[in-house]
Amino acid sequence: MNLVIGASVWMVVKWFIILALVLYLIFAFVIIRQVQLMTKTLEVGFEGQIRIISYLHLIAAIAVLMMALIVL
Amino acid sequence: MPDIFISKKKKSENTKKSSKLSSKKHSKKREIDYLNGYKKPTYNKNPLAAFSYYPIKANFINQDPEEKVILILRKHPITNLRWIFIAIVMAFAPYFLQYFPVMNFLPENFQLVAYVCWYLLVTAFVFEEFITWYFNVNILTDERIIDVDFVNLIYREMTDANIDQIQDVTVKMGGVLRTIFNYSDIVIQTAAEIPQIEFDDVPKPDKVAKILRQLRIEEEQEKIDGRVR
Repeated sequence: MNLVIGASVWMVVKWFIILALVLYLIFAFVIIRQVQLMTKTLEVGFEGQIRIISYLHLIAAIAVLMMALIVL
Repeated sequence: MPDIFISKKKKSENTKKSSKLSSKKHSKKREIDYLNGYKKPTYNKNPLAAFSYYPIKANFINQDPEEKVILILRKHPITNLRWIFIAIVMAFAPYFLQYFPVMNFLPENFQLVAYVCWYLLVTAFVFEEFITWYFNVNILTDERIIDVDFVNLIYREMTDANIDQIQDVTVKMGGVLRTIFNYSDIVIQTAAEIPQIEFDDVPKPDKVAKILRQLRIEEEQEKIDGRVR
């Protein structure tokens, strides 16, 4: 009985983590939009690298979400 | 008939040449070293510089085609120390957690995801702080001063005032760090709609004030000569 309750608690925690990671994914999209807005405002020669970092961050966020879905 | 045609072409070529020459002369006139008094300034190639005098590449939104960027200012790099320190502490926090087993109640797979999420958050924190520093700039052109502020993720504030609207420039220097690393706030009173523009924590404030003074003199001279755009 305790084992069943324990398993269901971790299941709830799992879905909370996944929900948090989905929200983080939205945040990563907002960062990309923000970088686009900023690079439109000012071009000094480092925008390409910043844009690449923002996309890498989004890819990392997707990867962590996938990992959470598989591992948990 | 053909002779007239040829002569017309020559004339148009001449006018083109003269306009090219005048534009060259105009652009040459713009490239004045406001700091050292030389005609040709040395260009700054570092896009991450906090004091970028005559940046080699500089474009901003709403820039006039003939407008030339003279100076781009960011907060002094030393002001980044606070968030760099926080980021280092955050990066090493999981390492110290092994001495305080607060995560041991979690199953191993949950611990793994928690660590990965933590480092994702650290990355986001560092990136956000860096882009906030990088894009919060003050721009001095030969026509205007512009203050670009990114207040939060999606909110941008851009204030500008013409050089001839500047009434008063105040350099506020104080504090140990500011004196050691030579950076301070510059308050510019203007006759524009927004009466005050502030440059926060900019490096070499005396040089900035000097450039502003030279720009005002140049603008007044342009008005006297009737070269106002």
